[in-house]
Amino acid sequence: MINIQELAKAFALGKNNKLSDTEKQDVRYSKDAFHSVRNVSFNCGSGEVLGLLGPNGAGKTTTLRMLSTALKPDSGTVLLNGVDVLRQPVKARQQIGFLSADTGLYGKLTAYENVAYFGRLHGMDEKALKLRIDELFSLLNMHDFANRRADNMSTGMKQKTAIARAVVHSPKVVILDEPTTGLDIMTVQTVLDFIKSLKAAGTPVIFSTHHLDEVASLCDRVVVIDKGVSAFSGDIAQFKALSADGDLREAFLSVLHGGADTPQQGVA
Amino acid sequence: MWQVYFKELTELMRDKKTLIFVILLPIFIFPVIFGVMGLVLSSTTSKAMQEEHRYVIINAEQAPEFSDAMFYHKNFKQVKTDKTSEADLVAAIRNDEFDVAIIIPADFSAKRQVAEQVQWQIIYNQSSQFDFMYRYFTEMLASYNEQLQRETLNQLNVDPQKLAAIIKPVDVQKVDTADKRENIGEKFGAVIAYILVPLCLLGASYPAIDMGAGEKERGTLETLLICPISRISIVLGKFLTVLTTGLVGALITVGSFGIWGAIIGSFAGMAVVQEAMSAIAITELILIFSLLLPISAVFAALLLAISIYARTFKEAQNYISPLSILIFLPLVAAMMPGVELNSKTALVPVMNVALAIKELIKGTADYMMLALIFGSTLLLAAAAIGFCVHWFQQEKVLFR
Repeated sequence: MINIQELAKAFALGKNNKLSDTEKQDVRYSKDAFHSVRNVSFNCGSGEVLGLLGPNGAGKTTTLRMLSTALKPDSGTVLLNGVDVLRQPVKARQQIGFLSADTGLYGKLTAYENVAYFGRLHGMDEKALKLRIDELFSLLNMHDFANRRADNMSTGMKQKTAIARAVVHSPKVVILDEPTTGLDIMTVQTVLDFIKSLKAAGTPVIFSTHHLDEVASLCDRVVVIDKGVSAFSGDIAQFKALSADGDLREAFLSVLHGGADTPQQGVA
Repeated sequence: MWQVYFKELTELMRDKKTLIFVILLPIFIFPVIFGVMGLVLSSTTSKAMQEEHRYVIINAEQAPEFSDAMFYHKNFKQVKTDKTSEADLVAAIRNDEFDVAIIIPADFSAKRQVAEQVQWQIIYNQSSQFDFMYRYFTEMLASYNEQLQRETLNQLNVDPQKLAAIIKPVDVQKVDTADKRENIGEKFGAVIAYILVPLCLLGASYPAIDMGAGEKERGTLETLLICPISRISIVLGKFLTVLTTGLVGALITVGSFGIWGAIIGSFAGMAVVQEAMSAIAITELILIFSLLLPISAVFAALLLAISIYARTFKEAQNYISPLSILIFLPLVAAMMPGVELNSKTALVPVMNVALAIKELIKGTADYMMLALIFGSTLLLAAAAIGFCVHWFQQEKVLFR
């Protein structure tokens, strides 16, 4: 269970930074700071997949970074299965499987070594680690390139390795930042199937995406972030209801244009 | 921490750039330097020694013995000229008509008869690196001078046996209390420090950049930060890797320097250097390494801090360049004549290590002073590591 309440994060602007005319009109800019996330709240229960939507620069990645403990929120709370991320970051990290927007692999290490390294950092013993890697490599069809260095892998191979690395320690919460961007159709399908398997295992999954077809096929819940605020938060049916014929693109645009009749603004 | 350390080492060992900078460059830089420099130097010296210099003597009849000596010298070839004035001779040399002109005054013989000192002139281009021509000339002139002195003393009825005492009433014999090692240590000790200390920095630079800015660029840093290990462990793991590569680079350099120096030195007849080097005990080599350890730790921590701050590999390289200059300044100061190890210089970072290495190579090190240097550098290293850890916990640094 993931519970996020009134999350906010600002980044200081440089002393010599001059705001452009567009930035001056943007509510997220103040004189000395950029308020990347101003007020984001949502929940995601066990076995639920939550799609995080929003235009580029809306605050999705900053939100996910706060969830993953990489960034510290200025205010608000993040509870992962009851563990307060701010108060117990190390304990929270043990529960999180995080895939960043970059595949973020070590080029000189093989697929196996990349995954094993993070398993060891999570304190897994060698025997359990070997079994888990074998299981994941079978699930993601990775055995063929297990001993290939990341520098010599295709984009799809890298993404599969990054996913295996993110979940090697069997996390209780999985956060994926645009996991299907730039992948071919076959690899996208493998990734989506993998998310479904996590869902089936009762693991809450949050993933940010720009692909509404993935939202339609996977998500139980949808959160739309716009200018650092959760502009919509509800289940998929409520999101579809924002458009006349259940079209997700129209629903998404209606939220951004402020015409959405959001069932529960903020926490759903 | 050890997981991070071993993983970083594995990656570095598989990286061609690291292998080149840390292992291959130190192994092959010295044979290349010794070989190429030796070859160039010996070939240019040999050429300069054998060169034939075209000369003219004005008023040669005034000093026939000297003129004959020049005429029969294998490195001189007489040419004819009708020029006699200094200005004309200078112009002729500039026009490459000949290389050197010697002007003997027209009244030289007459003045000699009355035992009056006479000034000759030698005109030539003095910009050459190897001035063998002037050396040959002065050798002949010294011999000619001695011959004239004997003749003059004979005329004055002075016993020629007393010639040496008359010409040079006091002679000095120098008795050197410094042994060969001390002499060589004084001359080359600072140079060795000048090579070793920057190599600790050079060997650590690339890995440090890769482990901070490189991780940011690849997007691996974020993933690492959300692992359930403390930031201190991450920094220490990376720091130890950078330190290891810096020290390995320095050790390989010392080994390469010693081995290739011995091999090439034996061909070039540098037995004195070999003898002096063999006088350095293993204890002193360990002490040199012990001094390099904390200063390498300072470098590793500073490099890592810079690298963590930088957004990209290139930005990190730009920041590290001024650091290199800052490190060279105290090293250059340590090489200055008259700069010695004392309680003040022992507290100047980098300079103290360079001076201590020089003392150790000379065999005149004060162990209390070495302890002071080790302690003060260790404190500095601890502060630098502390800063690095603090830096690694700053969001504004990690997510610039």
